[in-house]
Amino acid sequence: MPSIGSIAYYATHPTQLRSIIQWKVWHNPVHELDESKETASLQRCFHFLRLTSRSFVAVILELHPELLVPISLFYLALRGLDTIEDDMTIPLEKKEPLLRDFHNILEKDGWNFTENGPNEKDRQLLVEFHVFVEEYKKLKPAYKAIIKDITERMGNGMADYAKNAEHNIAGVNTIQDYELYCHYVAGLVGEGLTRLFVEAGLANPALLKRKDLHESMGQLLQQVNIIRDVREDFDDKRRFYPKEVWSKHVDNFEDIFKPENKAKALAINSEMTLLALNRADDCLYYLAGLREQSVFNFCAIPQSMAMATLEACFQNYDIYLKNVKITKGDACQLMIESTQNLQLVCEVFKRYARKIHQKNNFTDPNFLKISIACGKIEQFIETIFPSQKPPIDAKQNPASAQEAERLKKEAEEAKWDNIYMIGAVVATIFVITGTMLLTAWLAGARFDIAFAQFKQQIGQLLGSGDLRNSTSPKVSPEGHSEL
Amino acid sequence: MAPIKVLITGGTGFLGTAIIQAFLALPDPSLYAITALDINPPSLGTQSFSQVRYVRSNILQREELKKVFEEARPDVVVHTVAVSPIGPDRYAPYGKKSKRVWDTVFEINIEGTRNVVEVAEEAGVKALVHTSSVTVLLDELDKDFRNVDETWSTGRATTCYGASKTIAENLVLDANKPDFLTCALRPSALFGPNDPVTIPTIHGCIANGETPFILGGNENLQDYTYVGNVADAHVLAVRNLLNSATAAGEAIFITNGEPVSPRDLCLAIWREFDHTPFFQLRIPENFAWWVGLGSEWWNWISGSKGNFSRGVILDATKDRYVNITKARQILGYEPRVGLPEAFRISCQSFKQKFAAQAKT
Repeated sequence: MPSIGSIAYYATHPTQLRSIIQWKVWHNPVHELDESKETASLQRCFHFLRLTSRSFVAVILELHPELLVPISLFYLALRGLDTIEDDMTIPLEKKEPLLRDFHNILEKDGWNFTENGPNEKDRQLLVEFHVFVEEYKKLKPAYKAIIKDITERMGNGMADYAKNAEHNIAGVNTIQDYELYCHYVAGLVGEGLTRLFVEAGLANPALLKRKDLHESMGQLLQQVNIIRDVREDFDDKRRFYPKEVWSKHVDNFEDIFKPENKAKALAINSEMTLLALNRADDCLYYLAGLREQSVFNFCAIPQSMAMATLEACFQNYDIYLKNVKITKGDACQLMIESTQNLQLVCEVFKRYARKIHQKNNFTDPNFLKISIACGKIEQFIETIFPSQKPPIDAKQNPASAQEAERLKKEAEEAKWDNIYMIGAVVATIFVITGTMLLTAWLAGARFDIAFAQFKQQIGQLLGSGDLRNSTSPKVSPEGHSEL
Repeated sequence: MAPIKVLITGGTGFLGTAIIQAFLALPDPSLYAITALDINPPSLGTQSFSQVRYVRSNILQREELKKVFEEARPDVVVHTVAVSPIGPDRYAPYGKKSKRVWDTVFEINIEGTRNVVEVAEEAGVKALVHTSSVTVLLDELDKDFRNVDETWSTGRATTCYGASKTIAENLVLDANKPDFLTCALRPSALFGPNDPVTIPTIHGCIANGETPFILGGNENLQDYTYVGNVADAHVLAVRNLLNSATAAGEAIFITNGEPVSPRDLCLAIWREFDHTPFFQLRIPENFAWWVGLGSEWWNWISGSKGNFSRGVILDATKDRYVNITKARQILGYEPRVGLPEAFRISCQSFKQKFAAQAKT
């Protein structure tokens, strides 16, 4: 049952409700999966997938059949890794070798892990990890190699961070550290997915050469999550905002949550936003390289959501107090717009870039840089979808001038075609009506009486008082008697 | 190897000085011997360089110019001389009142260029780089230009500056041939330390109390260019014409590649001068246009010269930015100094200058 609050909300925000209904009613999955036909262990894998990534599981399950299982398992592998890394109850001596060896564990029959703390939300996945191993082994070798490689690199990266005690106590120092962290937890995922897409023939192989593009895909998502979760992470005694950014304004990280530092907290927020915003054009460029609709949707939805979330968090002090979210209506609207084509996704990016631009505060130290970053997004969109056409210059380009001349002539002809068409229709109606009237007249119809009665009735209708005085029409007694 | 002789017209001007600086900042500046030609000697406050030969000459005096060329025997010419009317003169259509402005601008920008091109060709110069302007395209004031490139034809500019620069540019590019290579660079609004127009104009709004008013929706984007970056582009163009010559006969946009809302840019500059508008008022674009028209009529009736006109509104509210891919590809141009840094440097220099003026 929806709560009274949400009913009141949607009653006052009909467009949001409309988006939700539209998405629920009109969205057709690109590919549909019949889970009941799958093996028991795979069904169990999908079950874990539902538990781990509620938000995007729908899009994963709509993926092209070729990639559905590999990508699902890729996510589960990374989730397993994450569950070990996150768990502060596992001692480092135990954690480090596990992380570094996790890529081999993927293939160890019957492997599972029961030593996670009871509060790890995905601990059950590791308890029943053998179902994963069983399905993983059935994958094509090419896919397995990609998943294994990324798992190994991410595991080592996580192990390095776990070992780096300074990171755990003091958090990330430089912007470079911060981006490196995002690289390990998200940039690598971008790489792995890109390799899977290309391997399956569903993306342009050129994407593999542009490492900066898939890196940006991961960076934007991760950075937006970090910006949004600042409060939650702080409450969990974690911090990902780089010291290089916040130390310009406060001496200790916890100070940004103090009410007297509101302006400083917002300045920190804008610099973090700027770092993420600079990745946006790369993401659009990347999306342009995807060939298959379900893969496009899979990549585009999280990016649109990230842009919207970035905008919701920008210059919003609430992020330091609570979890800021985009509304469900906006989320549905974004999903509708992100499951069609690149041009619509570009419109989404432009819309949110403009919103960020309008919220930009000129007393902020990064004011001009953010303004430029927003401009850069718009310019990039203009390069892929130009909104203007160069005028035709007859002198320099006689061919296209001729073309323009021809088009003009065609338009002129089309206009006359229309006129002739309308003329023909009118003439036809006229001829038919005339024929019918003539036939009726020949058959003895009394148009004179009809006309007089018509006049009389009109007179009555208009309520003219001189109805009685009106002379009744002279009706000629004989009709036509030809028939 | 004998150094390559470069002659820079307008060599003591805002851009000319920066181009000389860019040549001297090259890893091996001795490769080039520079002659700076200008109607004015290096003035007080602007930089002059001991390695550079300064010659005083007027490009409108053909015979005088010939002598300078015969004596200097340059290999390459960089032609930066132009005049750009500012304020109400920028927008004045050709008419009785504005005839003098139009005639002066046309004479210097077109006849001056013609003299330089012809004299250079006669003097056996190998290459000529001409400073054109984005206005050859973008000064069709009532139109938007979004990310346009060099394939757009010119010839529709309505201002006297844009019209004169278009004719000059065509003149230069038509003169291109294998033994006399020419190209035209089209920078957008220039700024920098010692900048005579952009920053002083925007700074002037503070004293006029104009800073609270936002013209239009503040969603349009425009290009600006740091003078140092434009100077780099000229050096790159000279080297290109002397080597691969892929730029020969080409017109190339040069900007900072960072289109930005003009309102935001002004706010950022005012911040550099420690000014904060104490309220902000949005004036809708259509309304502003009518106010501009009214102001023009009033000026016409009263015979005064007000600053506000439709031209100002159009200059402030339209999209005017270009694509610099061609500069990147042909010249290998990359804006070295980004806008925020460039404005900081420039405004600091102005602040010092204003402080010094206040003392005297």
